[in-house]
Amino acid sequence: MDVYINSTGHFLPGKAINNDEIEEILGLIDGKKSRLKNKILQSNGILQRHYAINEQQQTQISNSDMAANAGNACINNSYLSSNKIKMLSCATSQGDNVLPGFGSMVQAALNLSEVELNTSHGICSSSIMALKAAFNAIKCADHDNALVIASELTSRLFKHTRYEQVENNEVDFNAEFLRWMLSDGAGALLLENKPRPTGKSLKIDWIKSFSHANAFPVCMSVGQAKDENHKTWQDYATYAEAEKAGALLLRQDVRLLDNIVAVGVQGFLKLIAQKHVDINKIDHVLCHFSSKYFKSKIFDMLEIAGASIPEEKWYTNLYQRGNTGCAAIFIMLDEFIKTHDLKVGETIFCMVPESGRFNCAYMHLTVAE
Amino acid sequence: MENKVLTPLGQKCLQSLLKIWFDFDFSLNNVPIVKRLEQGRLSIEDYQTLLLNLRQQVIEGSRWISRSASSFDRDYSDIRSIVIGHANEEHRDYQLLEQDYVAAGGNINTIQSSSKNVGSEALHGFLMYRASQPNPIDLIGAMWIIEGLGNKMALKWSKCINEQLKFATCATSFMDYHGENDEHHLDELYKLIDRVASCEKNIDAIIRTAKVVAKLYKLQLEEVDNAE
Repeated sequence: MDVYINSTGHFLPGKAINNDEIEEILGLIDGKKSRLKNKILQSNGILQRHYAINEQQQTQISNSDMAANAGNACINNSYLSSNKIKMLSCATSQGDNVLPGFGSMVQAALNLSEVELNTSHGICSSSIMALKAAFNAIKCADHDNALVIASELTSRLFKHTRYEQVENNEVDFNAEFLRWMLSDGAGALLLENKPRPTGKSLKIDWIKSFSHANAFPVCMSVGQAKDENHKTWQDYATYAEAEKAGALLLRQDVRLLDNIVAVGVQGFLKLIAQKHVDINKIDHVLCHFSSKYFKSKIFDMLEIAGASIPEEKWYTNLYQRGNTGCAAIFIMLDEFIKTHDLKVGETIFCMVPESGRFNCAYMHLTVAE
Repeated sequence: MENKVLTPLGQKCLQSLLKIWFDFDFSLNNVPIVKRLEQGRLSIEDYQTLLLNLRQQVIEGSRWISRSASSFDRDYSDIRSIVIGHANEEHRDYQLLEQDYVAAGGNINTIQSSSKNVGSEALHGFLMYRASQPNPIDLIGAMWIIEGLGNKMALKWSKCINEQLKFATCATSFMDYHGENDEHHLDELYKLIDRVASCEKNIDAIIRTAKVVAKLYKLQLEEVDNAE
């Protein structure tokens, strides 16, 4: 059974926030302006993003409600009514509740009846994991359709008060780095077992991913304090102690980050060798790179490999919509489809590297008749 | 980047070589000595042992390069010239290693009198065997892996070592040196790939040798912790 993306949708909370407004939303740590902010923003190239929290750091919309809004936008744009949805597959790096699974909360928010449910948990690539579960369910004829939603509300981790709880006010570069990278949003895709005559149906040719967690240390995490090798957040006597130790901060080991380029290119070369992808036949590249810095690194390495794809084929909305983690690739695909005049047979190559513990997911799409 | 491989077969070969390099590079993350080095848990004794183990293979390294030069016949005389140049440049590398060993607090007699570890034996044996075959173009694959590792040592390992260990004088000259000549060597390798990756059979041979050398080099590094 072939699988098609027949509709897409997204939701970005509130108004677009410019670089000089970020600290008005997230707050000043100990009342002081960040000394790293401009350097990191310059490197990632992001100009605007959205936050689900306001100037008092109060949540304006929950993660599951953002997901539901994206899901509704997607359904409203489709040939289906919501009571025909057979499967709901959701992804996030952190739901509103620790339990139950994010998918349950999104299903309730969307009021979908008796769907098969899947929640994938991880960071950027978890959206592709959720998509793959839905893709497989349709491919093996278990379902006619599936709604896939990825949503992120990371700004809650970046409130100034989070950092101020840490003992000795020890906020190092690795703990602050992602504060200037990530923001909120949700994206949704509707999959069906047949194309629709919109001219925008995309056949999913394949989805593949290669994880390297066995070969690399953790690079992006919540749950472990700096220089702490074993103890994780639940091992502290109280959650307050874990927070004091800095175990609840979102951290990025910046020194390890360059490995993500090698991991991404290695998988790409593997797909070329296995003949899943022919570089000359790729018409569009949608790559979830977290910053401008990495885009150029990926370019350089592909060029060394003699596997470069001309720059005009690359599309991103990172700089205007922000880096919304796992939701980013769906938000990108949604805007790409809506702003491009696609021709039958054109191919789209998607790539989602995740630095968490080094996973990289790839997807190949073809515009259907 | 100016130094590009241009022919379609050359590109195909290069893509496979780069893939093998990544596989090797990732697999090194699970080698105990490399783990400690890259994760900031390297002791001074560890570094001495690493140098001591590397030296025994490096001192023989120029032998396989020289031998392979003599195995290229008149049809490959252009390659022979490049390989001779390469051998000439690197055949005293081991002296840098010895200097570093002493700067890191080791005794010169110890490093000079040690023997190869099990992995070094295997690696050296394989390289000498291949170098003795007529027109051993597959050794481009070996050079690729060894150059890649030199590059990794210069750009990454040397920095990691100097961050966690303090030396009175420079004790990473061997690793640093490989960074300085990198551009030049890479240029040469690209040229060689274009020259010899002229048919599928040649590409297969290059790929195979690159894979074997990667595996044996990893073994050599694994054996650093097993050496007596």
